[in-house]
Amino acid sequence: MDGRLRALAIRSLFLFLLSLVLVAGFWYHREFYQIGFTNLLIIGGFVTFLVIWAARLAMTGELPRGRPSGELAFTLEEGDRLLKRVARFVVRPSEGLGAPAAGHVVRAKYETGTEFARLLIEDARRAFLSDLTDEDARQAGFRSAADLRDAGTSRWRWHPEDVVTILRVRALGGTR
Amino acid sequence: MNLSSVVVLVGIAADGWLIAFMSIRGRRPWLQATFAACALSFLVVGAWSVGRIEGLLSAVDDNLVLGLMLLTHALTAILVLGLIRGAALPRRRAATFLLLAPIPLLAYFAPIEGWTVATAYEGNVLGGFLVVCLGIALGETIYARQASPMFATHAFWLSLGVISLIVAGPIYTYELDFLGRTPLAGANLAAPLALACFARVALQTDPFPISPRPPKGRTTTGGIRAADAIVFDERHPKYALRTAEQEANSGRPTLIVARERAKITTSGVASAAFTPDQHAASRTLTTVSEFLASAPGGFVVLEDLADLSVLSGWRAVLEVVVRLRHVARDSGSTVVLCPSRLTESERKALKGLDLPWWPMADAATEIMAILAQSFGTGAGRLFDSFCRAHGIRRDDVTTDHIQALQDFLSRALTELSGVVGGPAAHGLQVQYEAAASVLRSFASQGAVEIARGKWASRRSSESDVDLVVTAADYWKGKEMEELFAAADAVSEREPLFEKARLVFVEQLGDAGEGVLRMQLARLGKKPEELDRIDLVRIADRATVDLGSLADVVDVPQEKERIQQQIESIRQKLELIAEGEG
Repeated sequence: MDGRLRALAIRSLFLFLLSLVLVAGFWYHREFYQIGFTNLLIIGGFVTFLVIWAARLAMTGELPRGRPSGELAFTLEEGDRLLKRVARFVVRPSEGLGAPAAGHVVRAKYETGTEFARLLIEDARRAFLSDLTDEDARQAGFRSAADLRDAGTSRWRWHPEDVVTILRVRALGGTR
Repeated sequence: MNLSSVVVLVGIAADGWLIAFMSIRGRRPWLQATFAACALSFLVVGAWSVGRIEGLLSAVDDNLVLGLMLLTHALTAILVLGLIRGAALPRRRAATFLLLAPIPLLAYFAPIEGWTVATAYEGNVLGGFLVVCLGIALGETIYARQASPMFATHAFWLSLGVISLIVAGPIYTYELDFLGRTPLAGANLAAPLALACFARVALQTDPFPISPRPPKGRTTTGGIRAADAIVFDERHPKYALRTAEQEANSGRPTLIVARERAKITTSGVASAAFTPDQHAASRTLTTVSEFLASAPGGFVVLEDLADLSVLSGWRAVLEVVVRLRHVARDSGSTVVLCPSRLTESERKALKGLDLPWWPMADAATEIMAILAQSFGTGAGRLFDSFCRAHGIRRDDVTTDHIQALQDFLSRALTELSGVVGGPAAHGLQVQYEAAASVLRSFASQGAVEIARGKWASRRSSESDVDLVVTAADYWKGKEMEELFAAADAVSEREPLFEKARLVFVEQLGDAGEGVLRMQLARLGKKPEELDRIDLVRIADRATVDLGSLADVVDVPQEKERIQQQIESIRQKLELIAEGEG
């Protein structure tokens, strides 16, 4: 099944179960709500507000991992490699990096500013640029560490003694 | 059977499962015991409640159940306090148990004042105590959520647990009372949910596995006795690890916490590897805290601060550092922090904490500077020849390589003896001896001496300022070129055994040499008889032998680490063999 359909099915199932729990709760407390319209309005209204809120979060993909924070800019080729899952690593200069901690979601944008995906950060580490291995480069979609360094040198003017952050990411889906 | 009874019974089963789960999965006995006590008290009160509702246990003393109910609330607060504060203040965590002190008093006054389980949450001293216990737990979680970047996520789950207890406890009791229904007689329907939340936090903040298990008990041995967190400022954490080895050799319990488990050593340094997730920072704190609680006066190296920063966020790491400083001072221990690969802004923030900051020399730079004092500008060429001969990068050179460097230079001089003679040979020998003496002196310096900053690189840069050409450079002539050529030749003829030994030691630590010698003994060869075919055979045999070692390891991370080491050894040995072919 397509990843997006599966995610939609899971989110819908979650919402349905939540609705069942709510109905059961209302039924269980039916006598309590009979004591007056005001109680029902306040408590029922609050619970329904929570449900709508949860539904909004679930449908925008912010559950269960929370809202995305930070953003990473990619060239068209890099973005394409990530979406096709050819690349899983993202290598960026550490200073001023706008990515959140591991386990969080970051917005992936093209350099033109268009968001093309949300990326779950599965792992992260720091390394000196000179310590990058060919395997790191291959995981980032480059043929060798030298290729990766060359690409970065023209883009960020980095030096061998610079520190880079290597993020292992997974694309969660398309633009919302 | 009443619907409430069924729900409570399901909750009891869940409580029992959580107790068993925590007992098996937890790594902190004091926390597991607190959790078990809390969950058991909920379980017993729930069982009694069902028995009472179903008319099975009417004979049980109401005061006994009231006492248990008091326990559930007090232990909930103690458990939450332990989860939030236990890691930072290991020696003061017992103070939270003072919350149990009023329970005997309240239990004594219960029959006199007419307090019962059914009326426990009414506006009296008993109800006040129960609400205060839940209030302390909730207040602490809200404070942690606001004030602690490291604990904010955990605080959410703790808040969820405590709020669910409040809703299903006092609030639900008031609701039933309002409707004129019989209260649940002490049982709390949300207990399984709350306990699940607490168990989640407990497991997410559990210490990393430590191996080998360090000795317990207070220690006063070791060379660095500062009870503080010290920053060892070096590009690669070489002195930090070397100092850890030295401290362990002196009998001091020593732990290295890093991204990857430390190599096998004979000094008994314990090591823990952090898992790559967002809880790495909080788990690092509990790992160090638990270690120092069991071995006060110990020595800890936190190697990969930079990796913690990208995994958990820099604010969380700063909080860990501050808390570790308290733990170190509280337990009379030393915690060494390695700022390697931190960004400039992070280093600045770390400096803002006013920790003792020890600048450490870079071994490669110092060795180069020492060689330059004797061999002039050609020192770099000599050093590169040495690195090439041993298959190591400049960055990987440590003071442990100095003996090998001396041997290398000595062999280069021996090679030269047939070419250069007379005063030139004597001059080179004198230069070599001078360099070797300074190198030995440098290698013998510990972190404390190095931190004082009397480094060769600083001295040479100071002395070179006024001179365009140094006297040493002027004196050296043709024989230097010959020395460099000899060094290049030595690098090509470096014994295979030495190259293989370095590969094994690099991957397996000191034990690596023993493994290589064992393989040699199996082949029935001596180190000097080793050839490239033997090297391939050793690579194959070592893969099989160490692979069977990996097979008996149950911990997946350990298994993976050993397999990586095996693969690395095999690849490097094959590379050396190819290079010799």
